[in-house]
Amino acid sequence: MVKILIRWNIFYCVSVFLTENLCLRDDAVYDELQRSDSAKNPLPFDEDLPGMGQYYCLHCDRYFAHESVRDEHFKTKRHKKRVKEMMGPKPHTQLDADLAAGMGMPDNGPKLMPV
Amino acid sequence: MRLEKCWFCSSTVYPGHGIQFVRNDAKIFRFCRSKCHKNFKMKRNPRKVKWTKAYRRLHGKDMTQDSTFEFERKRNRPERYDRNLAENTLKAIKKIDKIRVAREERHHKLRMKGKKAKEQKEAAIELEQGIHLVKAPSVLAQDQSLTLPKIKVKVQAQAEENQAMEE
Repeated sequence: MVKILIRWNIFYCVSVFLTENLCLRDDAVYDELQRSDSAKNPLPFDEDLPGMGQYYCLHCDRYFAHESVRDEHFKTKRHKKRVKEMMGPKPHTQLDADLAAGMGMPDNGPKLMPV
Repeated sequence: MRLEKCWFCSSTVYPGHGIQFVRNDAKIFRFCRSKCHKNFKMKRNPRKVKWTKAYRRLHGKDMTQDSTFEFERKRNRPERYDRNLAENTLKAIKKIDKIRVAREERHHKLRMKGKKAKEQKEAAIELEQGIHLVKAPSVLAQDQSLTLPKIKVKVQAQAEENQAMEE
């Protein structure tokens, strides 16, 4: 029983360090932007990140050492390009891929419970 | 068993093929082959990659809205097994496929319409400009019958003349 638990924990730990999981992709950033318009939570303190993880650019998914550094970053071309991209249409999703393949909208059946 | 669509190129992923990547937020990305998987890791946008279905639909290369598309859907409610229903569904799939293919062909034909006429015109101009590559200008000057007559004729007639010169 313990052996199985350890193996499961190892798998989970490995997935955390996969490079694909470390940085946010376009669609994750887009969702965050759509969501965080309502709630601005204080960022958690993290020793390993530059600036204790406090100065964060959501569009580029980058941490900065100081507020001034972050504000400098906001003026760069790369950041402005990202902002413009995020203002545009929603990034490609699995639904887009299905529709492009020639399928219709998914059929989830009649609504079972009132939302 | 489910036949999924590739996240990148929208082709069908059959069992035993491809890779599924499950992100930490539990979103699943399915790829039909390593080509699509590698493009995904490179963070390429499928809408900008020419050979994907997303690009083709966006730029009008393939037909976008059609009534045959609403038959194939992702059905997330299980159906009670009914032999008659299964038989009719299989027959319907075949017929719908035939109709869809016919419509796609028609769309392609419409898209390519007017291309031949344009090509003929361009070929005529090219031939006129590059006739010195075919016959030496001195020969053409001596024997007037070899030059292309500069008269405006309809497309079909011009095509015949071009063929005569090229032979």
